[in-house]
Amino acid sequence: MFWPNSRHRQLLTSPLLAVLALATTATIAWGAQEKPGAPAQPAAAAETKPADTKPTFVGSTTCQGCHEDIFNAFQKNPHQVVETDKKRGFENNSCESCHGAGSKHAESMTAADIVNPSKQKPAATDKICLTCHLNQPTHVGRINSSHAKNQVSCTSCHAIHKNGPHGLVARKPADVNKQCATCHSDIWASFQKPYRHRLPEGAMSCVDCHNPHGTILARQLQTVQANEPGCINCHGDKRGPFVFEHAPVKMEGCQSCHQPHGSSNPRMLTRSQVRFVCLECHANLPTPTAPLNGTIGTVPPALHDLRSPRFQECTTCHQKVHGSYVNRDFFK
Amino acid sequence: MRFLLPVFLTLCAFAQQPTEQAKPAAAKPEAQPATPAAATEAAAAAAPAKADDKSASPAPSAESWITGYVDVGYRWVTDVRGNFQQYRSVVNLGEGPKLFGFDFTLQDPKKRLYDTLTLRGIGWGGDPYSTAFLGARKMKAYDIRFDYRNIAYFNAVPTYANPLQPGGFNQRTFDTRRRDASFELDLFPGSRFIPYVAYDRNSGHGRGIETWVLGASDQFPLPYGLSDRTESYRGGVRIELNRFHATLEQGGTRFSQDDSTNYTGPNAGDRTTPINGQTINLGSLYQSLRIRGTSKYSRILLTGRPANWLNVYGQFLYSEPKNDIDYTEIATGRLYDFTSTNFFPGLYNIAEGNAIQPHVSGNAGVEIRWKRLRVLESLTTDRQHDSAFGLFVPQVYQQFLTAPSSTTAPKQVIKYNQIETNVFFDLTSKLTIRGGHRYYRGDVSVLAGNLSQVGPSVAGETNRQVGLAGLTYRPSLKLSFNADYEGASSDRIYVLTSLNEYHKARARAKWQATGSLLFQANFRILDNQNPAPDIRFDFRSRDASASVFWTPAAAKRFSFTGEYDRSSMSSDIRYLDLPFLTPATSSYRDIAHTATTAMDIALPGIKGAKLTAGGSLFISRGSRPTRYYQPLGRLALPLHKNLSWNTEWQYYGFGEQFYLFEGFRTHIFMTGLRLSR
Repeated sequence: MFWPNSRHRQLLTSPLLAVLALATTATIAWGAQEKPGAPAQPAAAAETKPADTKPTFVGSTTCQGCHEDIFNAFQKNPHQVVETDKKRGFENNSCESCHGAGSKHAESMTAADIVNPSKQKPAATDKICLTCHLNQPTHVGRINSSHAKNQVSCTSCHAIHKNGPHGLVARKPADVNKQCATCHSDIWASFQKPYRHRLPEGAMSCVDCHNPHGTILARQLQTVQANEPGCINCHGDKRGPFVFEHAPVKMEGCQSCHQPHGSSNPRMLTRSQVRFVCLECHANLPTPTAPLNGTIGTVPPALHDLRSPRFQECTTCHQKVHGSYVNRDFFK
Repeated sequence: MRFLLPVFLTLCAFAQQPTEQAKPAAAKPEAQPATPAAATEAAAAAAPAKADDKSASPAPSAESWITGYVDVGYRWVTDVRGNFQQYRSVVNLGEGPKLFGFDFTLQDPKKRLYDTLTLRGIGWGGDPYSTAFLGARKMKAYDIRFDYRNIAYFNAVPTYANPLQPGGFNQRTFDTRRRDASFELDLFPGSRFIPYVAYDRNSGHGRGIETWVLGASDQFPLPYGLSDRTESYRGGVRIELNRFHATLEQGGTRFSQDDSTNYTGPNAGDRTTPINGQTINLGSLYQSLRIRGTSKYSRILLTGRPANWLNVYGQFLYSEPKNDIDYTEIATGRLYDFTSTNFFPGLYNIAEGNAIQPHVSGNAGVEIRWKRLRVLESLTTDRQHDSAFGLFVPQVYQQFLTAPSSTTAPKQVIKYNQIETNVFFDLTSKLTIRGGHRYYRGDVSVLAGNLSQVGPSVAGETNRQVGLAGLTYRPSLKLSFNADYEGASSDRIYVLTSLNEYHKARARAKWQATGSLLFQANFRILDNQNPAPDIRFDFRSRDASASVFWTPAAAKRFSFTGEYDRSSMSSDIRYLDLPFLTPATSSYRDIAHTATTAMDIALPGIKGAKLTAGGSLFISRGSRPTRYYQPLGRLALPLHKNLSWNTEWQYYGFGEQFYLFEGFRTHIFMTGLRLSR
């Protein structure tokens, strides 16, 4: 009934489709294989403890004996799934999934015999976390992240044992901002300026614009609608495409004219008066022929008398500086 | 009345009998120490293993089915002294009854419909920023997130329009609101195949003032209404396997924008002084700009670990937004054409057009680990091709002759490729060094200016070699230091102020002096030069900050957070001043001092009573000397087990040395009740 003619049946049973199905199944099966070494040799264990006798897993209930508070907290923790989920390879051994096999520590009761990720080198800590979390979309931009390059480990922001639904990392905008400001106090200072995005009020958070795990864009800017900068998420009317684009908006980004964190200049501009923002590119200087040290946009569209106040605020007439649908001079 | 409904619902919720359980030990958000998370982490790390564990797990042994709070009260704004429009542009807080905030977490012990449900928000009751969040999650079943924000955007800064006319009419004023709503649903979170759908809506509407420009001579400020909306739909599946992950997503957007003006009457732009014996006036104007757009986009994300020593990353992003434009403009009055020196009774313009912008981005990279060596290698490419078509039909009422129609088909192409390598080496167990290189190559072709002598389009290039270096030094768990450096040389750049010959460095140090005392210092500098004789662009910005977090006895009695930042920016660039092309230098200077502090004191004798003092100050000198003070005082007194009385005072003082007429100051008082559970 669903395959009314023989051609469709033929397609369904064609060798090509069979090969494709086989390849897909094989790929998924390969991808779903247990990680090398897991659970018998988790990353953490291999990282630090080449002991004389290889420690073995003792199970989370053994850990509970001394660390009952953590064990109890862990029951409500998102990581608790590691304890119960067979496919992750650490069933009943969730503590040791990060801390490594604990038999030696259980015997000696000394901290030296167990892996403590928060005391390791950042790269080693990250490797433990990425054992499970690499294969998630969150980390696809990690390789471009300045956090990764500057050795900011996962545990700098994520509290692994913490209890509760919001336990692993701050979620409320005000809490997120507080956490980021702990290291980026210089950036937080910018938000004390009069013209700013509404972060101190708690209406926005740093992660609205930045992805701390890294993205394809510079400054870890969030991407929206596939590959647009995060600014477009709220300022959708600035996206275009316009009939007449203002090239720097797409070439150099919003920050070529705006200070996105905060400014003492109205509209968060980079200069105190509008005309000085514009004149930095439209400087009337002779244009060298590109590409020989050439820059674009130096010649102005008209000869205004800049001594006159009516011409000093360029955007009074050139209103659509982000791009215009109907006017080449951005009048409308 | 709007805030009463949530209050009522909340009270009803409190009135319900909860299942038997003890009160959580650490449920109240206000009882949390002010120590930032990282400081807590560092303190935890510095402590012995047992203490570490305890500090990291403030778990109650039994939990209430609902925890959270709601803050309701009233806000008074004293008479705003100074410029009220400026106050609205910067602060914009209003008076009246408010729902200041709420934050509830519901946990179903039997996990029937949900494991956890979160509801929170701030600023309801006419505040300039209102937010709400609803999240519900059931392990292995679903994860729903709904986020809503409504942010007022008022701007009527006199100096923005005309710095020389303090009482002048601001032709660039607007009073708008932007609303963002996003909804996401993940199915079967934590499983290997996670389908998801999402919907985002971003809209803006309000009123403003725009200028109607006639030729290059006359301008008429006009009120106009603006409205735009972007709706975004997406869905996909995340495949999270042990060896690799793939996210396949397909989405689309719908965009609409409607700006309109319908104006009749005298206008501030009318010329009452006769010219050639006659005055100029705009009698009426009807203007309508209607944009309709669609877009489709695709995302493919990949990560994988083919071997223990190798991680691979890749993403492919594609979008293709299109817009259709419909524009109508009808003006009547006594208008003047300076070119032909003729008066005419009106005109109308019709324009239609469309624009499309295919945008392809890709990124691929690998991370290789080999003993003490780690290599990050990434390649990024990005291509944007704008192409548009416009048809313009102008008609002047003078003698009712139609001017010739014109068409245009502007194009813009922006491409870049970047390849970056970073090599990390663990020199010792405490010191890691990094070195690397980035090559950036970009090509653009954009529409040339009206007076361009080089044709309809102009090309530009960027060719940049960047050297990278960095180090991370952690001599102990209590002390860490990080620095990174970029030095670049470009032989071609896009615009005069592009990064050219630049040096950029950052350094951070963190010292956990004791378990309750943390110091941190940051420094960064950017020095960018374009020494070409005509340009002589010289830009330098520096920023140094220091902060201290002191939380003795786990902040039970007292905690203090203080930050100080000094930033400076200087920029000089040459330009030719119009109308006589006089050589001039545009100089910008900004030296700013910023301090923020927060001090919490538990009042003796009253359990749970807390006094908070702090706020921020910003003082700058240079091109726009500005002072902005926001001191704050808050008192929280417990009235009952679940009820406390909060009172807050905040002062806002804003002043500018060059534009005294823009200053304002006001005191804002708030008092209210917090019901917590």
